Amino acid sequence: MRNSQPESPVSSIGERLSGADPRASITQLFESMRPDLLRFAQWLARDRSLAEDIVQESLLRAWRSRDTLKDRGAARAWLLTIVRREHARLYERKRLELVSLDEALESQAPAKAADPEGDLFTLRNAIMRLPIEYREPLLLQILGGFSTDEIARELALSSTAVLTRLFRARNKLRASCGMSPAPDVPTSEAAP
Amino acid sequence: MSCEEARLQIGADPAGSTPELEQHLQDCGPCRQFRAEMRTLDANIRRALERPPVASDRPRITATWRPWALAASVLLATLAALAVWLLYPSDTLAREVVAHVQQEPDSWLAQQHVDAQSIDSALRGAGVKLDITSDRISYAQSCWFRDHYVPHLVVQTAQGPVTVLILRNQHVRGRHTFHEQGMSGVIVPSPQGSIAVLTRSGANLDAVTAQMQQDVRWLPDAH
Repeated sequence: MRNSQPESPVSSIGERLSGADPRASITQLFESMRPDLLRFAQWLARDRSLAEDIVQESLLRAWRSRDTLKDRGAARAWLLTIVRREHARLYERKRLELVSLDEALESQAPAKAADPEGDLFTLRNAIMRLPIEYREPLLLQILGGFSTDEIARELALSSTAVLTRLFRARNKLRASCGMSPAPDVPTSEAAP
Repeated sequence: MSCEEARLQIGADPAGSTPELEQHLQDCGPCRQFRAEMRTLDANIRRALERPPVASDRPRITATWRPWALAASVLLATLAALAVWLLYPSDTLAREVVAHVQQEPDSWLAQQHVDAQSIDSALRGAGVKLDITSDRISYAQSCWFRDHYVPHLVVQTAQGPVTVLILRNQHVRGRHTFHEQGMSGVIVPSPQGSIAVLTRSGANLDAVTAQMQQDVRWLPDAH
């Protein structure tokens, strides 16, 4: 199944490039995406300074491998993939959650006061609290615009497993918003 | 398509659609409602993700490690307090013993042995008796130390004079050696107090200490 084209809050790089100077350097292209990459990394790592490190390292890796990028229109997905892998590398290396979630959530308190919509604040907290195995595919889908199959390839999972994780991620968020969660689905985590 | 399959598909991608799903929704009100709710939720998720999370810039301490870090801190604090409790009194006692001996410099200079009556006088009120022969003791006084009278003796040895303070009311938890103000000393625990032995000539204290531990008899009640 191919996911519908999401209305990603990440601005489309294709749109950006349509009127761009074709001679624009690859450096400019990468730099133009830094804010989107940083936001993606922040939602993955839940820590700004860590996310900045991840993005910096990712851009460095991307620069070293720039010759493998044949289609500039695919740069966004390519870079997001690098960021995700860099985060995963760090996560694997540390073998731990890199941020005290309580501290991270405490630090959001001022944002709550400024946010007239409490539900949105609750939702942001709930996303932060999602385990990485659910948060990661959700971010890839919504922020990255990846299809189920693309997520499956990236995470080395079956498409059914990705569907299950996406379903569970939303189901948890649904419950956090006070809605009755849907009955869970059987686990299917087999790799393709 | 079953309701379970439909909800899995909707939950995984609320905006998505397939002919099979649409056909199921035509006949299933609950699943239609579920999709409507999930689309609303999904719109909110997208809004929530528009802004990056506000993350802490503080040091990265894992939530799972925090209890262990706290436990380790408590343990360290306890050990530190225990160390202070164990060591501080001995250090202080040693310092005060040295200070007291410094106040009586003439005690080191006495060469002639004191008689048994003077020794008994020095022991009076200290709650102890001494079996040591008096011809080796060149100084014997009853000194006021830490709110009690304590026998202050100087014992002559082949390596020079050795000062002994019999401290009935000062308890230590183990043998404590010290080097301070040009003196070397040891304080050893005894059944009802402790004994401090000092030298300023480098005399071997072990023999005198062992002798005093053997010769001092602790009386039931101090007077």
